[in-house]
Amino acid sequence: MAVMADGAAVPEETRPETKAPPREREGRDPAPAKRQISLRVRLRRDKSLLIMIVPTMLVLLVFNYLPMFGTISAFEFYDPIYGFFHSNWVGLQNFNQLFGDSAFWHAFQNTLVLSLVQLILYFPIPIALAILLNTVLSTKLRSFIQAVVYLPHFFSWVLVITIFNQMLGGAGLLNQFLRQHHMATWDIMTNGSTFKYLITFQAVWKEAGWGIIVFLAALAAIDPALYESAAVDGAGRWRRMWHITLPGMRGMIILMLVLRLGNALNVGFEQMLIQRQAVGPQHAEVLDTFAYYYGISGNNFGYGAAAGLFKGVISLILIFAANKAAHRLGEDGLYRK
Amino acid sequence: MSSTTAFTRRGFLTTSAAVGGAIAASPLLAACGNSAGKGGASTKQGIQAVLPTFKPLANGATPDFPSVSGAGGALTNPGFLKYPTTLPKTVTGKVGSGGTYTGVAPSWNPIPPANNAYYDAVNKALGATFKPQPGNGNTYSTIIPPLIAANKLPDWLQVPGWMVSTFNIGGLVGTKLADLTPYLGGDAVLEYPNLAAIPTGGWQCGVWNNRLYGIPCHTDGMSTAGALFYRKDVLDAKGITPSVKTAADFKALGQELNDPKGGVWAFEDSRVYLYQVFGVPLGGWYLENGKVKSANDHPQLLECLDYCAQLAKAGLVHPDSLAGVSASNPSRFNAGKTLIEGGGLGAWNDGDAKSGIAAKPGYLRQAFPLFSHDGSTPTIGLTGASGWVSYLNKDLSPDQIKECLRIANYFAAPFGSYEYNLINFGVEGVHYTMSPDGPVRTADGSNTAADQIYNFFGSSQQQIYNAGYPDITKATAEWYADTVKYASPVLFRNLNITVPDQYSKVAAGTELDDAATAVARGKQPMSHFQEAVATWKSAGGDALTAWYQTNVVDKGLS
Repeated sequence: MAVMADGAAVPEETRPETKAPPREREGRDPAPAKRQISLRVRLRRDKSLLIMIVPTMLVLLVFNYLPMFGTISAFEFYDPIYGFFHSNWVGLQNFNQLFGDSAFWHAFQNTLVLSLVQLILYFPIPIALAILLNTVLSTKLRSFIQAVVYLPHFFSWVLVITIFNQMLGGAGLLNQFLRQHHMATWDIMTNGSTFKYLITFQAVWKEAGWGIIVFLAALAAIDPALYESAAVDGAGRWRRMWHITLPGMRGMIILMLVLRLGNALNVGFEQMLIQRQAVGPQHAEVLDTFAYYYGISGNNFGYGAAAGLFKGVISLILIFAANKAAHRLGEDGLYRK
Repeated sequence: MSSTTAFTRRGFLTTSAAVGGAIAASPLLAACGNSAGKGGASTKQGIQAVLPTFKPLANGATPDFPSVSGAGGALTNPGFLKYPTTLPKTVTGKVGSGGTYTGVAPSWNPIPPANNAYYDAVNKALGATFKPQPGNGNTYSTIIPPLIAANKLPDWLQVPGWMVSTFNIGGLVGTKLADLTPYLGGDAVLEYPNLAAIPTGGWQCGVWNNRLYGIPCHTDGMSTAGALFYRKDVLDAKGITPSVKTAADFKALGQELNDPKGGVWAFEDSRVYLYQVFGVPLGGWYLENGKVKSANDHPQLLECLDYCAQLAKAGLVHPDSLAGVSASNPSRFNAGKTLIEGGGLGAWNDGDAKSGIAAKPGYLRQAFPLFSHDGSTPTIGLTGASGWVSYLNKDLSPDQIKECLRIANYFAAPFGSYEYNLINFGVEGVHYTMSPDGPVRTADGSNTAADQIYNFFGSSQQQIYNAGYPDITKATAEWYADTVKYASPVLFRNLNITVPDQYSKVAAGTELDDAATAVARGKQPMSHFQEAVATWKSAGGDALTAWYQTNVVDKGLS
């Protein structure tokens, strides 16, 4: 049911804000009506909202936009003493070196592989957890489970990895038990070939609980009457999940997927940094650690900035592509078209 | 211009990283840029012409273990079992002439109030106003560049060796930092007897482009990459007296000690400390028939990496050490989870004894006598003599510079002198009380004098002294006296070299260090490292080597 232009013809001031016609998800405006209201009127109407976003805009400006200026160092032999303006300008030399650097491509490849593995193995878990948790009826039990699964999110990676190492490391609880009982030890923490699964497991352990929040919110928005009428019509548990629960979460799932793809090249800097020594850069070097080790640690800031800029550009392309795909699927994605 | 010194001495901050850098071409490179950017170094004759004359001090305290000179110009640090009871004066006559100077140096302690009784006491003795401005040691590398950029350098600046490139000292000498050659070069230094007693190697760390700019601090007459240590208390309890003469002996000892089921492993991952056992050149470079070569190309390196991999694969190295888990408190060695580790000599002191004894009473660390992999005569690489050099501002007048040098002379008073006691401990009864083990800081002294900040502007040759642990001093002094015979300076030792910008990534050699680590831990075959070296060479390593040949070696600096 397409909702017509949401009262655009009606003078905005007279429109009761609280009773705006509901926008249905599938209700993309067929032709977003050209807004007739002048900027002045809109400013006046949205004054309080605009004031409310000022602090956030300032934070974004100071911490996200201003630092972008530093990207210029990717084209320099950047020297902190001479600053951005007086460092030697080298044009594309850093990029030339970067694209000819096998270590860089290796890091890029690792990043993509780790990202893909995490997408497949990690992404569905918070959704499943949310659905499971939603079926728990006792509020007390539900809050308890929620608290337990949220908690690891607040641990730092250093702590999480230390716990993993104490439990599963070469001298950890598990392996000392095996050793003392004359069994072969199990190399978990330093095995390069299974490292991608290890870090996904760590990410699930730490973050999956936190990740369910948005999905729980999406579930809460589903009208219980739908379930009731479906049950009356004889739909079983699985049919209800398939035809009501999942479609109800679809918008949120797609939005999270788009965000995840935009973030695909961020596969966890700290997690990699801490465990890079354990499995070696062959398995744990990703774009972020590459920029750190070859740029910052080596006092070669321009080179690191070039690697970072490359990553930024790819991420931007990914997020636009994912957003476009979401629109094709008839979803909102990041913004409504 | 990228500046680097050929030595690495990150001191107490990141010891393993420092020695890790010993084989990597040079970790101290900045991607810097100014109009020059071409790099360069001093020449041998140029350095000789400006170095101050060395003249040991006659009127200091008498050490229990006097300095021993050995091969390659090495001179061990004097050892003191007890803090001297009589404190001789080493500075006579007027020091300051009423000038006021600010000095900036790093500090890893809470910053004392700007005006305090301790500073006042020192100023009174100096006859000048010296205002120490401690900067947070952990962020020092970011505190100084803005001062340089804004042309607001203090009168006196301390530059730790591992920040030389970050501050681009190569570009600052002569333009912002004063040339001290006329005041200190040759016999001119004799006017400042305590400065003249600083070993020559230290002064060389202050030479740039054939001129003397820096005043060396904490000069170590025999600085080395480190040693291999064992838990003497544990071995004694097992009735084992180690007699390690070869790499095979070392491994055999490890096999005897290893007890994974009991949670005790023989070794920490000690690759970089095994380099000297296998004769791998430290400092990144070596000379063969007059040609400079990268240490990554040295045949012994492959043998050493292979040996390390054998230790790892035999299960003799603690799994956490192989996993790169370095932080634990107490350390695995202190806690007795590993019994043998490589480390800097700085780890063998009273502080280590305190934390070790806290973990287990009776804790005792001992270094293995030097040995070589095949039982032949061992060598130990002599690294940079001073990791801390102070510089004076170019804006000071000649008279002011002379006054500052007289103050530096006061700061460089040797251990056990009246002046040393004052600048390091303050006033008796106020900042410290005298115990049988030497001065003990009061609460006031701990708040203001614990920095020992004056020694960052001038200090005598280091000494071996462990308050309350004379046995450690004795063991250390004896180890040094034995080892000094085998000392051999690393190539480009004490030499400030400025490498051109385009080599900064190659010179950092991150990928080589990674590859060597992976092979030594048994995670990758030897070919992995060989391939990394081949890639490194073609990506600029060969060009960098050629640059060193033309600009450093061919100029007679090897």
